[in-house]
Amino acid sequence: MNEFVVTTLLIVALFALLGSGVWIGLTLAGVAWIGMELFSSRPAGDAMALTIWGSASSWTLTALPLFVWMGEILFRTKLSESMFKGLAPWVNALPGRLLHTNILGSTIFAAVSGSSAATCATIGKMTIPELTRRGYPPEKIVGSLGGASTLGLLIPPSIIMIVYGVAAEVSIAKLFVAGVIPGVLLAALFSGSIIVWALMNPGKVPSADASLSFGEKLREARHLIPVVLLIGSVIGAIYSGIATATEAAAIGVVGSLILSASQGSLNWVSFRDSLLGATRLYCMIALILAGAAFLTLSMGYIGLPRHLAEWVGGLGLTPGMLLIALAVFYIVLGCFLDGISMIVLTMGVILPTVTAAGIDLIWFGIFIVIVVEMAQITPPVGFNLFVLQGMTKREITWIAVACLPYFLIMVVAVLLLYWFPGLVTWMPSKM
Amino acid sequence: MRKSLDALYLGAGWLAALFMIGVLAMVLLSIVSRLVGFYVPGTDAYAGYAMAGAGFLALAHTLKANEHIRVTLIIGKLRGGARRGLELWALSVAVLMSGALAWFSWRLVWQSHTFHDISTAADATPLWIPQILMGLGCTVLFIALLDEWVLEWRGQRVRAEGDTRHE
Amino acid sequence: QTAWDLPAAYPATNFHSVNLASFASDVDKATGGKLKITVHPGASLFKAPEIKRAVQGGQAQVGEILLTAYQNEWQMFGADGIPFLATSYAESKKLYAAQKPILQKKLAEQGMVLLYAVAWPPQGLYSKKPVASAADLKGSKWRAYSPATSRIAELVGAQPVTVQAAELSQALATGVVENNMTSGATGVDSKLYEHLKFYYDVQAWLPKNAVIANKKAFDALDKATQDALMKAAADAEARGWAASEKVNTDTLATLKANGMSVEPPSAALKSDLQKVGATMLQEWLGKAGPEGQQLIDAYRK
Ligand code: NA
Ligand code: NA
Repeated sequence: MNEFVVTTLLIVALFALLGSGVWIGLTLAGVAWIGMELFSSRPAGDAMALTIWGSASSWTLTALPLFVWMGEILFRTKLSESMFKGLAPWVNALPGRLLHTNILGSTIFAAVSGSSAATCATIGKMTIPELTRRGYPPEKIVGSLGGASTLGLLIPPSIIMIVYGVAAEVSIAKLFVAGVIPGVLLAALFSGSIIVWALMNPGKVPSADASLSFGEKLREARHLIPVVLLIGSVIGAIYSGIATATEAAAIGVVGSLILSASQGSLNWVSFRDSLLGATRLYCMIALILAGAAFLTLSMGYIGLPRHLAEWVGGLGLTPGMLLIALAVFYIVLGCFLDGISMIVLTMGVILPTVTAAGIDLIWFGIFIVIVVEMAQITPPVGFNLFVLQGMTKREITWIAVACLPYFLIMVVAVLLLYWFPGLVTWMPSKM
Repeated sequence: MRKSLDALYLGAGWLAALFMIGVLAMVLLSIVSRLVGFYVPGTDAYAGYAMAGAGFLALAHTLKANEHIRVTLIIGKLRGGARRGLELWALSVAVLMSGALAWFSWRLVWQSHTFHDISTAADATPLWIPQILMGLGCTVLFIALLDEWVLEWRGQRVRAEGDTRHE
Repeated sequence: QTAWDLPAAYPATNFHSVNLASFASDVDKATGGKLKITVHPGASLFKAPEIKRAVQGGQAQVGEILLTAYQNEWQMFGADGIPFLATSYAESKKLYAAQKPILQKKLAEQGMVLLYAVAWPPQGLYSKKPVASAADLKGSKWRAYSPATSRIAELVGAQPVTVQAAELSQALATGVVENNMTSGATGVDSKLYEHLKFYYDVQAWLPKNAVIANKKAFDALDKATQDALMKAAADAEARGWAASEKVNTDTLATLKANGMSVEPPSAALKSDLQKVGATMLQEWLGKAGPEGQQLIDAYRK
């Protein structure tokens, strides 16, 4: 069967099912089913159940529901209100003002969470209502959050780096360290883009609160103590060896409950609502993850990503052209598959080509992580888009357009890393 | 009938919420046991099973709360018969897929039982036991989607209008 | 033309996976392209714990599994994981010879065929601090990733700690884990030398990877193809055992080159660990029953 025909048919099926309003998780499973029945001689049903069970019960994912729950608890406290109170006087002079809380919050939370969906859900639960209430333009709120929360993958700890590190047999510790500078660079680029936008559209940014003296600003900063304590205790638990990165989410839930109790907002109703709300939000993501797991299996049987990767590898390109080709390949693949699946399905084929081209495997790991970050916000299959749709109830196309500028910024970041590879390799070389 | 169906979805949702607490409890247990210096084998595996319980059992409840996401770009623009037709098509596909999921989940349970498939981790759990959660959750989702299909057919489906904004 | 899928759990560069790739290409050549095996390394099709039942249920026609992982299901699968029973390649081959007929019988009952099995390099002890005897391990945090490793920890007085392979690197850096028992090869793959400075070549056991096929799929092949497949499997087995020994030598050198102290265990540590081994063999025999006793007798003959 011609690869082109297979690809076309599956993409048509995907768009037809999605467009006609079939739930996203069931659509992915449906496309996977069609693919297996038509293009592989394997029976689909048993393999589907086995692989969905494996992914749904996998320990690696347990941080996700817990972080979602943490977000739901914090949403019902005064934490976000006080956080904004504490931050507002400091960002008043900065063009774009409180929009930067999305970037700052995501960057800091990325140091706690290894997944971008968890970062998006937790930070979004706090910033979206508050920024909306203050009158910031919705597409800027959603876009900056969608873009910045992908930093969950680049700033350690990171699940995707572990998956890549195992596949490429490079040091996970070095990968983690290598992600720090690119992560901060990307955050700075995101913030920079908001500043530029705000300078060009001064009317769209809500006016600042009354300006305060430095002493008053410091006094207002006391409102930041709870959030600093909470994030500090989770990061502290990881780096003191009390908890692993996955377990840290549980510390986050307990910390949030304590915080909520100390503010007097913890009662049966708020506990019940946070628990049921978290269960539903996680369940929404879980259904999509289940469909995605089956689609990955189906792609593994059909061999489409593998064959495409083999084809790219066989073109005999120069290292620079190879990287451009791989970037395009992964961006296109990233429209349809989630990040971990992309890496798992293609690494066995891509890595020999990359090694032969003399590309540093740590650098390539960071490159892959940023490309996977882009995949989180490209339609039709982008997990951050799904989380944002779940939280804002807006159309996925609208969210994707809002996130587009941040996608382009990531392209710029990849170019910068290509021209200045030291941004990636300097820190790990000091280990 | 209506009452017992709604109770089924809500009950499964509450069970899912209990499993969510189970995930927290298992992860906390593994942290605390290490700190205090005792060993509970398999906390990681139990956390995984609890997570599966939370995800699968809440499927129907989440559907009824209109929190499973889909693309309503086209459906949202249609009115009358065309909209009803497309809704019925989408629901039919969903009923079919969730039915397959439920059927093959129970087959997974049955196969795990006949294969004596046991967790390879320290918990050594016979896997058919936690896999029942997947069978139950997918079955309740199948029932809920079938329910939605019938309601749509009879024109009684309560649509949470304005839930998805169009820009 | 028949197409088979072969899921495997280890990265494409691991010596087991490299061997699988040669095996697949040998089969292709020997059958004139009549049987094509696609290897899916790095858990890209099914994850490690799912592979056995995927082969059993026919979702994959052939697959690679770590035998000791299935000890929970049947004690005999764990015979090559009994510590200090078979500690060299020669002993490990002898144990395999004793284990093979009962493995074949059990797998046949489960609807599968054993194609070949290759041992991992011997398991050694990685430690943050120097270990002169088992007393030095008391109270230390010992990574438990299987029933056997947690039992050893308990017997030497260490605290078993559950940390998944994915988080091992970070757990070592932050002190969640201080000791780990695994092969030199795995130590190099997961860069254990970044955090642990001492390796004791205690040669605790040599676990085996087995390549198994679905019996229905196997029976559906014609006789000539079956013979070609088994011939390629025998070649792969010989090649794999040789590769394993070479990997063992090379990786111990790599550990040294990366600043680890690589040493044989002291006499005290050795005798302490042998006591642990004797206890665990008795416990294993208690669970495995007469079947287990027969296996050990056959091995010691
Ligand atoms: Na992170
Ligand atoms: Na995407």
